[in-house]
Amino acid sequence: MLPVLLVAVVSILESCKTKELPLPIFGERKVVNGDTLFHRIAPFAFVDQDSAVVTNDTFRGKVYVADFFFTSCRTICPIMKTQMLRVYEATRDMPDVQIISHTIDPEYDTVALLRDFSKRLGVESGRWHFVTGVKDSIYKIAQTSYFATALEDKSEPDGFIHSGAFLLIDRQGRIRGKYDGTKEEEVNRLIVDIKKLRREGNP
Amino acid sequence: MLIIATAQVVYFQSCQTRDARFSQYYVQGQQLYVQYCSNCHQKDGTGLGLLYPPVSQSDFVDQRFSEVVCSMRMGLRGSIVVNGREYNQPMPGIPYLTDLEVAEITTYIYNTWGRNRGLVTVEEVQRVFATCTP
Repeated sequence: MLPVLLVAVVSILESCKTKELPLPIFGERKVVNGDTLFHRIAPFAFVDQDSAVVTNDTFRGKVYVADFFFTSCRTICPIMKTQMLRVYEATRDMPDVQIISHTIDPEYDTVALLRDFSKRLGVESGRWHFVTGVKDSIYKIAQTSYFATALEDKSEPDGFIHSGAFLLIDRQGRIRGKYDGTKEEEVNRLIVDIKKLRREGNP
Repeated sequence: MLIIATAQVVYFQSCQTRDARFSQYYVQGQQLYVQYCSNCHQKDGTGLGLLYPPVSQSDFVDQRFSEVVCSMRMGLRGSIVVNGREYNQPMPGIPYLTDLEVAEITTYIYNTWGRNRGLVTVEEVQRVFATCTP
């Protein structure tokens, strides 16, 4: 009797352990010929602090985190960068986890300036891309692919409106999480979700 | 005898007012620091990498009182050296900070992280502002 009970208890515990709810998939979905098509990040091409071209291919088979900022911003960006630095450090030993920070002020934030900025922040590895590019392309990908706000607005103290969101993107270019990059607890949740998403790809 | 007692009362009162004013400035200064300064310099004053210099353990803050006071309203541009390391991120000034608010923030910064300069008055701040170079 006792062994049977034990086995039952163990199997219940086991089932609990393996039962992990998958992260949601954000955005519209369409069903085409019985297949569900999910919202994916549209094709893009930007240039990072090492003058390397960064495209969707850069993140193929990788999990990545995206945000929007500019170097001369004094409102929420410094907090976002403090928090993103935590993400960068928490994923230090995960080559399959990358970060992309888009400047929304590409006229001022040149490659050279982004290079200096990233170095001063203490970013040495190529896992964190600080990218610049055509302004309209950056704004468009922010709005339509990442659902993040990025707009020029001269009435704002720094001249731009933008959200402090961090977006978590899976290996297939789908949004799997949205976090407030100015809040420590939300970023803690992001760090947990990154690990979850990595497990999903490697069962 | 009465005179001495009166003098003592006056003395204590002025002393208490100064202490009360210090606490008021300090508490208010802490809130203003969190609101206006901590985004970059961090709540604990440690700064961020080589982008934003520390204000907690900082020889610049220790030695350059006037420049620190001026920078809050006028900003700071160009390269500066803090604790032997070079920083070069422009700091925007906050022109609408009142003399009182600057005095409160300054009181907070100069009585925290091991410093004990005591109350920084509005008059002191105004004297410094008169010397700021734009």
